[in-house]
Amino acid sequence: MNRGNFEKNTSRTNDARNATDRANTLRKQQIFKGRGCPFSGKKALQINYKDVAVLSKFLSERGKIIPSRVTSVCFKKQRELAKAIKRARFLALIPYVND
Amino acid sequence: MKNFYEVVFIVRPDAMPGLVESIASDITKIIKDEGEDVTKTEFCGLRQFAYPIKKNKSGHYVLLNIFGNSTTIAEIDRKLRINENVLRHLVLKVDRLDNNPSPLMQNKHYRENLLSNSGEEEFSAKNIGE
Repeated sequence: MNRGNFEKNTSRTNDARNATDRANTLRKQQIFKGRGCPFSGKKALQINYKDVAVLSKFLSERGKIIPSRVTSVCFKKQRELAKAIKRARFLALIPYVND
Repeated sequence: MKNFYEVVFIVRPDAMPGLVESIASDITKIIKDEGEDVTKTEFCGLRQFAYPIKKNKSGHYVLLNIFGNSTTIAEIDRKLRINENVLRHLVLKVDRLDNNPSPLMQNKHYRENLLSNSGEEEFSAKNIGE
């Protein structure tokens, strides 16, 4: 929400933000590492476009969808997840961009 | 052929008291007149948006679960699009309807429980009211 600063030095702040975003992704990578798909199996999480708590686990700090190679979500579930996230965005439950 | 549908719509935050309910009951009436079913109606209350919609920062969320024909659903979709008090709506055909309260309705305590016991289906409607 630091608008004034943002406009003065857009490229540099953007770089810095993308860097923190990457760092955040790396951190999530470590959290998810060594596990199978969180949506597969008997006790798996359910994908639901209304469930902001679950969806936000698979979003970066900027609100981007984290790649499945990081979160180890299987390809089938990643497609479902992406669709659910996009529906939640449409209903203004989660932001399109987080800046 | 009848299908399962989920309808979510968002009403303006400055709507008169009772307007949200009346829109929902209008829709319910259309469906009932066709001899079809509304299996669940949820008023999720005033909720903050993640981004402004038509300069509004919040809105009343309503969720309807419907078992009906596509023609009826098309009519509801049309009605919602015309209504100026409805900021946004989403109509989905789903494989099955969940009669438990949706995550939009559930309080924080419940959600934490759900995440720690991820996927277990033991939570009934009774546990949530507290």
